[in-house]
Amino acid sequence: MNPKRTMTLNLTEQEMRVLDEISAQKDLSKTAVLRQALRLYQLIDVRLSRGEKLFFEDEQKKEKAELMVV
Amino acid sequence: MTERIEITDFVTGEAVEAELFDDVAVEHFLEAQEEWRPVVVEARWKLSATGEQHLIPRHAHWDWTNKEEDLKLLAFTFYGLRCGGKLQGLMKLQTVGHRCRLPEQIGKPLVYVDYIETAPWNIKLLMRALGREPQYAPIGSVLIRAAVRKSIEEGLKGRLGLHSLPTSEQFYLHACGMESVDKDPAKQNLLWCEFTPEGAERFTTGGTL
Repeated sequence: MNPKRTMTLNLTEQEMRVLDEISAQKDLSKTAVLRQALRLYQLIDVRLSRGEKLFFEDEQKKEKAELMVV
Repeated sequence: MTERIEITDFVTGEAVEAELFDDVAVEHFLEAQEEWRPVVVEARWKLSATGEQHLIPRHAHWDWTNKEEDLKLLAFTFYGLRCGGKLQGLMKLQTVGHRCRLPEQIGKPLVYVDYIETAPWNIKLLMRALGREPQYAPIGSVLIRAAVRKSIEEGLKGRLGLHSLPTSEQFYLHACGMESVDKDPAKQNLLWCEFTPEGAERFTTGGTL
């Protein structure tokens, strides 16, 4: 296991509530939720920077929307 | 991370020391291509000649060097297993972006085994085609245990999923004790297999396979 470093994170009430909800829903600790988010953010960012696109598709409505990430 | 473990030498029946490591580099991919692929191709010819095409592993065309870009990303973790100076197995895990499909844990994140491959000289089926004895075991079980441990380290409690090639279904379902969900039309109709935290614990505490 790689050694870990600790940081303090300041969140608004609303952000903390969302983090609590995701944590309970997904059966993850808050740290695990944030680590998952970081992994996903980097993955999406790298693939977009390679020129790939990210879409959400609604099969029933036959709708496809590109997600723009800044 | 490099961990010293023991695997079994099929020929002598004795335990031998091996190294499980996660600092996989492109050189390991090149080694797999150069050392493994010719043996797989030779076995394919033999199986074709004896009319046993259905036994040819579907991973025969894999090229690990395609995965070089993913070495830099947090979303992926690679493991290798080395013994006797040679690479004996490789595995690529995706630690984000896949969700559980078993009803009791549906929607929860899991670690996905994207690719796992054992060196061809450790695969009984291929060695039988070549008239040789397999060399080392249990490579697949050691790698799946490492995947479960990664899932626990990531806070995913041992939850693990993969699409199994037809020739590996028995291994994942019976040797590992994973649960099957269904064939996935989005992934060449391969069988989706999954560990719950309880199933993963049973596997990792169940002794060597």
